Amino acid sequence: MPDLAPILQECRSSQPNILATLQKIQEVFGYVPRDSVPEIAHALGVTDSDVAGVLSFYHDLRTEPPGRHVIRFCLGDSCLATHCEKSLAALEKKLGCKLGGTSKDKRFTIEKVYCLGNCALSPSLMVDHDVHGRFTSGNVMSLLKDYK
Amino acid sequence: MKVYIPDDSSACAAGADRVASAFEKIKEVEIVRTSSRGAFFLEPLVEVDTPQGRAGYSNVPPSQVPVLLKKTPEPISQMSFFTKQTRFTFANAGVTEPMSIEQHGFKALNKARGMDPQKILDEMKKANLRGRGGAAFPAGIKWQTTKDTASDLKYVVANADEGDPGTYSDRMILEGDPYRLIEGMAICAHAVGAKKGFVYVRSEYPAGITKLRNAIAHATEAGILEEDFFELKVFVGAGAYICGEETALLESLEGKRGMVRPKPPFPAIQGLWQKPTVINNVVTFATVPDVILRGGDWHASLGTEKSKGTIPLQLAGQVKNAGLVEVPFGVTLEEVIWGYGGGMPKGAKFKAVQVGGPLGSIFPKSLLKTKICFDEFIKVGGILGHGGIVVYDDDTNMVNLSRHFMEFTAEESCGKCTPCRIGSTRAKEILEVILAGQGTKEDLALLDELGETMKLGSLCALGGLAPMPVQTAIQYFGNEFQRK
Ligand SMILES: Cc1cc2nc3c(=O)[nH]c(=O)nc-3n(C[C@H](O)[C@H](O)[C@H](O)COP(=O)(O)O)c2cc1C
Ligand code: SF4
Ligand code: FES
Repeated sequence: MPDLAPILQECRSSQPNILATLQKIQEVFGYVPRDSVPEIAHALGVTDSDVAGVLSFYHDLRTEPPGRHVIRFCLGDSCLATHCEKSLAALEKKLGCKLGGTSKDKRFTIEKVYCLGNCALSPSLMVDHDVHGRFTSGNVMSLLKDYK
Repeated sequence: MKVYIPDDSSACAAGADRVASAFEKIKEVEIVRTSSRGAFFLEPLVEVDTPQGRAGYSNVPPSQVPVLLKKTPEPISQMSFFTKQTRFTFANAGVTEPMSIEQHGFKALNKARGMDPQKILDEMKKANLRGRGGAAFPAGIKWQTTKDTASDLKYVVANADEGDPGTYSDRMILEGDPYRLIEGMAICAHAVGAKKGFVYVRSEYPAGITKLRNAIAHATEAGILEEDFFELKVFVGAGAYICGEETALLESLEGKRGMVRPKPPFPAIQGLWQKPTVINNVVTFATVPDVILRGGDWHASLGTEKSKGTIPLQLAGQVKNAGLVEVPFGVTLEEVIWGYGGGMPKGAKFKAVQVGGPLGSIFPKSLLKTKICFDEFIKVGGILGHGGIVVYDDDTNMVNLSRHFMEFTAEESCGKCTPCRIGSTRAKEILEVILAGQGTKEDLALLDELGETMKLGSLCALGGLAPMPVQTAIQYFGNEFQRK
């Protein structure tokens, strides 16, 4: 299990922020191990359920390690209007995993997102921090070739 | 020779970074990275200086770069997408460098600092600037409440959660003109007597977060925020739509689950950590500098009787010229979609349009003459929301779309109210049955009853408005919901 002590040391304060602490942990380790809830709660001086409640509320927070790259596939209104569901199906088929899952080779995790602010160039997806748009079911895979 | 290339993340999705790299190989060229004008259908839009002002080459592929400057560019002032727009809040879009303090100037803040705080509020009230985040509440009245509430600590919070799919105006400000947001917030802080501020930005906007953080650091270093001892911080969201609702946002900012608080007390009186808090949308704050520089009367002279000023509309979905259109309130939907947006893309046929994000009603062709302003939209049973306009084509299955809206509500509900939390899931299940061609009259009646229950029994507009797109889809495209 990852060593959270240095991060927790940093996040301790008279007014601890549970969400910011969990985001920090995820930023460093890619996820927040469920087993670490008591340790986090103890460090922040809040209850286990306070931490577990925040951890389960936010879509961004993961409790499993993700693949090397995270694809955030947009299912927002504008992307649906441009029929993104066909591209999603193609992507899922090629990667061999469904939305929310990780490919067998651990290269990609696909997550759902509602809008990336790239709606003028719908359909859209984001790989790590790069936004891509205007793809089709035929060429969506080619966007991924540079992410090893 | 200067070549202007946007560094906006949508422009980069269209290839602006690759175009910039190609230009790096040309010695005589000085690359200047600007914001985007928001004409995303033209991106990458590369511009140069000419005697007629800036002129542009549109949809430039990197392979064209070596020969591009030999061609004649088109003056921006003659491009029809821009000529009919009235750009104030987005005046700098595509023109300035996002990180340049000199180009921004902070003129409005300097002017505001010389004004009595009450005078600022009077101008804001005269302007009748109504919030651009969705609820359309007059900002001046909100600010006055916070000013008049005695407290040792007050906060100013910008809502940059921009949750409505189909919208991107906040993102364009964050990435393209962050000083305008900072300036609007600093003017507000000066007027209401707040010393601390937060910008709550959705995590889906990493480029905007980086630019805003840099801008705050530069402005702080330059001593611009110091005079009022105003301290500004960025807080990043975690992918929850409900955290765009102001009280859920405040809970989230405090590090908790984003659960909606009952109102009253209103945030203007008891907000962040129970202290008086002004919370406004990014575009609302970004419009404040112009109100201060040009005066409240100027702002009130634009628009319609009850919707003053301009609105940045964001065209998306099935439309030829998708991009940002800033116009005074009062234009019709038809004028926007066809006049600015160029109508449907080749081969696509208009079916419906949705304004105001996933809580906005579905409008058929017959409502295209509706004027874009708050009261007209209420009259025809819709909302303007954050100004997103999504056009759907003939290939759109309305039952599937309705199912999506209920799935969205089920996933994004904060869970406080039973009709919203459970009703949305039940509605989604009914729509799945209808989608399979098995729906009965009773199913439709139940769906309608569920919708009415959600409208009546929900604390906030997520549960309260979520039935609208589904009910209007059934109202206007009822035959698709029949048993097959
Ligand atoms: C479900 C829901 C989602 C909302 N999402 C946003 C949002 O993403 N951005 C925003 O500015 N306002 C959003 N609002 C409106 C805010 O609650 C609030 O009215 C607004 O931030 C106030 O600022 P304004 O007066 O400048 O619009 C949302 C409201 C609801 C009910
Ligand atoms: S309507 Fe839905 S989102 Fe709004 S407070 Fe109730 S449960 Fe939460
Ligand atoms: S709806 Fe997909 S990017 Fe906005």
